[in-house]
This record gives sequence, C-alpha cells and structure tokens, in this order.
Amino acid sequence: MSEERVSTRSGPGVVLVAVYAVMALAATGRSVLQITEYFSRAPVAYLLSALAAVIYIVATVALARGSRTSWRVALAAILIELVGVLVIGLVSYLVPEAFPDKTVWSHFGSGYGYVPLVLPVLGLLWLRRTRTTAQRR
Amino acid sequence: MLFPLTVALYAASAVLAAMAGWYAWRDRLIDDRVLLVAGLLEVGLLVQAVVVLVSVGDVGGGGAEKATYAAYGLTLPFVPPAVAFLAIKEKTRWAMGVVAAGAFAVAIMTGRLQQIWDLHV
Repeated sequence: MSEERVSTRSGPGVVLVAVYAVMALAATGRSVLQITEYFSRAPVAYLLSALAAVIYIVATVALARGSRTSWRVALAAILIELVGVLVIGLVSYLVPEAFPDKTVWSHFGSGYGYVPLVLPVLGLLWLRRTRTTAQRR
Repeated sequence: MLFPLTVALYAASAVLAAMAGWYAWRDRLIDDRVLLVAGLLEVGLLVQAVVVLVSVGDVGGGGAEKATYAAYGLTLPFVPPAVAFLAIKEKTRWAMGVVAAGAFAVAIMTGRLQQIWDLHV
C-alpha cells in the first residue's frame, strides 16, 4: 500500500509557487533599480530590499523543488520573510525617516496589496500541511 | 501607453481570470478554450512590448521610471506561457488558481505601465 505523497509543488502549492515567483520578480526588479539608481539615499533600506528579493527567490525555488531538503530551506526562508515583513513594517511606521523610499516590506507591504504580509502565513500553513510526508521521506 | 490597448488587455485578463475561476469551480482542467484566451492575451502583451520598446524614450521622470517601464513591458509576455505551462502540468483544480493569479498579475502590471505613462509623458 503506497501512501499518497504531497509535495510542496502540487495542488495549492503550485499557486503559491506562482505568487512567490511574481513577488521574487517584483522585489528583484525594485531592489536592482534602487541600488543602481539612488543607493546613497537610503543604503540600509535598499539593502533590506535586496535581502527581501533574495529571500523570495530562495523560497520560490525551494517550494518549486518539493524535495525533503528544500522543504527545510523553504521553512527557513519563509520564517525570515515573516519576521522581515513584521519588523520592517513596524519600523517603517515608528521611524518613517529611516525609509524615505518604499521597499517591498515597508508598511507591511501595503504597496503590494499586503501580499507580502499574507504570503508567508499561507506559506507556513502550506508547509505544515506538507510536513509529515516530507519528513517521512 | 496606448489607452485602448490597456483596456483590451484589462478585458482579456478579466475574461481569463473569470474563466479560471469558473473552471476551478467546475473542477475542469485547462483546455483549448482557456489556452485560446491566454493566447489572445499573449498577442496583446507582445504588441504592448513593442509599443513599450518604441516609446520608452519618451518616458520622463528619471531613469528609474524608464527602467520600470521597459522591464514591465518586456516581462509581461512571459507570464501567460509560464502560467499555461504550470497549469498543464498540474492535474488538479489548483491549476486554475495559477491561471487566475497570472491573469491578475498581468492586469496589475499593465495598470502600472499605464500609470507611468500618464504621469511622465
């Protein structure tokens, strides 16, 4: 009797991969622009933008691979993502002068329809759903 | 940006998203009709990419706006094929979720192009 294997890239996961890919693209584009065009204006904010872009790329690839190792990589990336959007979101409200220009995570991702805030939560729920099968293999 | 083209692209992506929702509801997989609408959207996006390439010189407001304009215009035509590929591989109703998400992304990015055009040309 073989048990059905739930990979992170099947079912709802494929939608998650697609949305992560879009976010990875948007965040990468934005951070490349910010760093090449006006880095001196807010180096810290723009480096965080670049970090966000890297996290989205890692999460996209890890979810799309759907192996046991990549499940763990995805978990780490999505946890960093959640902490990032919460911390940067909060700081951008408390210390607005630290963020003269918008980043993906500032104001809890309001510039992106709050997708950056919702996405890690959905990602973690999905990883929990796929955990047992992924761990067992 | 050509306003009629933007409206046509909005309409095509709305139809595609609505079809995807309907198919997901009925638990149907991707078929020729969905691919036809995605194909029409793709043609529109290719036309838009050409328009963007021709008009990118007219965009004012600094290099960043110009670069965003060009990047969005050239990235958009890759969305429908990528979405169709994922949807064909995925044999559950979630395939249609990918199509809907892709159609939504196309609408948003097209809106952004129009916005840059309105603000800076």
